[in-house]
Amino acid sequence: MIAAGFHDAGYMITAVVGLTIVTFVTRSLFFVLPASVRIPPAVERALRFAPACALAAIIAPTMFARQGHVFLSWHNNHLWALLAATAFFVWRRNLMWAMVVAMTVFTVLRLCF
Amino acid sequence: MRRIRHLLMPAIDRAALREGLRDMSHLAVAISVWGLVTGVAIVNRGMGIPMALFFSLTVFAGTAQLAALPLMAAGAPLAVVWVTATLVNLRFVIFSAASRPHFVHLTVPQRIWAGYLNGDLGFALFSRRFDGYDTTGTPEHYGYFFGTAYVNYFVWHVASVIGIILGDLAPTSWGLEIAATVAMIGVVVPMATRWPIVAGIVVTGVLSVLTLGMPMRLGIVVSVIAGIAVASVAETVAAR
Repeated sequence: MIAAGFHDAGYMITAVVGLTIVTFVTRSLFFVLPASVRIPPAVERALRFAPACALAAIIAPTMFARQGHVFLSWHNNHLWALLAATAFFVWRRNLMWAMVVAMTVFTVLRLCF
Repeated sequence: MRRIRHLLMPAIDRAALREGLRDMSHLAVAISVWGLVTGVAIVNRGMGIPMALFFSLTVFAGTAQLAALPLMAAGAPLAVVWVTATLVNLRFVIFSAASRPHFVHLTVPQRIWAGYLNGDLGFALFSRRFDGYDTTGTPEHYGYFFGTAYVNYFVWHVASVIGIILGDLAPTSWGLEIAATVAMIGVVVPMATRWPIVAGIVVTGVLSVLTLGMPMRLGIVVSVIAGIAVASVAETVAAR
């Protein structure tokens, strides 16, 4: 029952239509708003922080939790694969190779332990 | 066809268009990897192919799609799905504010269409190309903009459709969706340039795990707000 939401067509279509509107609105917001509207500096700062924080809120649970519970264990293959990939990416800044590192670590751990 | 083109696009300079096409083509491999990984992650998570195609071809925002994916899989409230995608997309609000002078001369449908196409790579190329220019909104600007935008659009969609098809063939036990998480990490790491934002990222990450038990996946929104607050306060302190 991991993907319960995917099997509800009404929910999915509404979600996707809403997400498409989100893309349109966020990307063209200041193209459409009148020129008199400006972003206050404090708000702009918060806007700059939001994407990184929102992504952290999605990434962290896939690393440190499983099925809604904290999962800190030697058997957490996702955690080790993603830590290795993060370290590699910070070092080399190459996304494709970071993906290869993650998949290699994950596959080795999955097959050997 | 011509009528649609004039509805959505202003007059463009051909040479600038070719230049934009060429510059974005150099990034085709990076765009393809992203599209491929996103497509694979969507079907590997259990979404059916028709819905996956509908999702990918309309939303056209890879990072927001990946962020929304686990929430939709869990059947999280629509408001939480939309708010999370909006938070991830807030960087585009800043992009649109930054390149506004070039696009205000267009008709409203043209502005909305240009905005929809204005992703991370296109914005970066456009800003670099016209850095130090005095003029705004010339056919040269629009030619370059749409040149980069259409390469990005085309390569992204072809790659994500291939990813959707391949993802359906690969067993979920291979853990291919991990590559999608790496893609998101690849967006966050370059943003972590100074310690206030690093503090915000760490606080959000820890809280997002600790608040997983909150009803309706509200923990995400709570932890992001807390992270932004921490980063903002940290920056104010750092600026003193």
